[in-house]
Amino acid sequence: MGEIFRLGLVLMLVAVVAAVALGIVNGKTAPIIALQKEQEKQDAMRLVAMGLVEADSMRFDSLVVEGMQNPYASVDEELRVVKVSVPPDTSVAGYIFIAYGKGYSSTIQTMVAVDPEGTVAGTKILYQQETPGLGANVTDPSKLTAAFIGRSADEILLRKDGGDIDAMTGCTITSRAVTVSVRKGLQAMAEAGLFRGTGDTDSGEVREGGVE
Amino acid sequence: MSLAKDLTNGIFRENPIFKLALGMCPFLAVTTSVENALGMGAAATFVLICSNFLVSLLRNLIPSKVRIPCYIVIIATFVTLVDMVMNAYLPELHRSLGIFIPLIVVNCIILGRAEGFANRHPVLNSVADAVGMGIGFTLAMVILATFRELLGSGTWLNMNVLGRNYANQPLLIAILAPGAFILLGFILGVFNILEKRRGGAK
Repeated sequence: MGEIFRLGLVLMLVAVVAAVALGIVNGKTAPIIALQKEQEKQDAMRLVAMGLVEADSMRFDSLVVEGMQNPYASVDEELRVVKVSVPPDTSVAGYIFIAYGKGYSSTIQTMVAVDPEGTVAGTKILYQQETPGLGANVTDPSKLTAAFIGRSADEILLRKDGGDIDAMTGCTITSRAVTVSVRKGLQAMAEAGLFRGTGDTDSGEVREGGVE
Repeated sequence: MSLAKDLTNGIFRENPIFKLALGMCPFLAVTTSVENALGMGAAATFVLICSNFLVSLLRNLIPSKVRIPCYIVIIATFVTLVDMVMNAYLPELHRSLGIFIPLIVVNCIILGRAEGFANRHPVLNSVADAVGMGIGFTLAMVILATFRELLGSGTWLNMNVLGRNYANQPLLIAILAPGAFILLGFILGVFNILEKRRGGAK
């Protein structure tokens, strides 16, 4: 009985010391990590939004869009749209959203900037864990995503699926994941009326064309 | 046992990868580039040194019946520390090493050295052993990563070595999982030849 008590005490002591040490370091590093994550996101948004407007300061606001379908339910993600504007003007300069597509070995996240007419203005792969040397090359814009720029949803389709974008050699699954996820996101936004001047967009933004 | 001997032990004679065949999982997984290999090696070496130091320091205080849980807590604590610090200050490296940082906890080299060396030797010797093992592990990873990165992407430490033409059409298998096994086989073969020569010369 006494021995069990002693063993338990030693274990407890070791665990308590470990917990205190971890608590202290976590207290120091957690804010830095959070700041970095936020900074990264801001930087990424600024980068993709470069194709949208040329301004030193941009404002990003999350939008709540009523009745928008979520095309990413199959990968347990949600379509979130951010409105881009150039202060002090509050009119819409464009939108940013993250597309989630199931690739060969990961769910690829693509940040997309799209102008108020529904034309893609910039993209950036935020996350992927595809095969190094093959699918992972998707992070190089010239391999695939550069082709999205200047296109609207119905033009973003691989050649194999009836469009005219070339897939990366040997990586159809990765290419298709990115292409289809971006296309679906754009379609959902179009259906919710974002590109026609309804919803949160300013009046006078009603334009035809872009996405059917 | 002299300190110097403990130190060099892990580098060649008992190299964790080539001789003890411990820690193969992270070894095969992160050696796709020399940068990753160095980062992983540094992280594992740090944890190894800290855990060997503490285990050796506490070797007379920890009852042998609960020593393994104590070692695990000690190792897991240091790994979590590395994980948090790396995430805060080296986010790029942290992202590319990904899941393999938390998995240092179950890297058998570390528990193996705590159990097989540090709990029976004085503090200085244990630290020397940890440094040697860490260098041995890092060295082995850098060797394999050099071949994989050169063949698989035509670069070394992200510097283009083999030229643009090669980088556009590299020997892809080298950075895929099978390439790691194939190259490891060759390296182990060469290592064994060297070992035989050395033994024969004695």
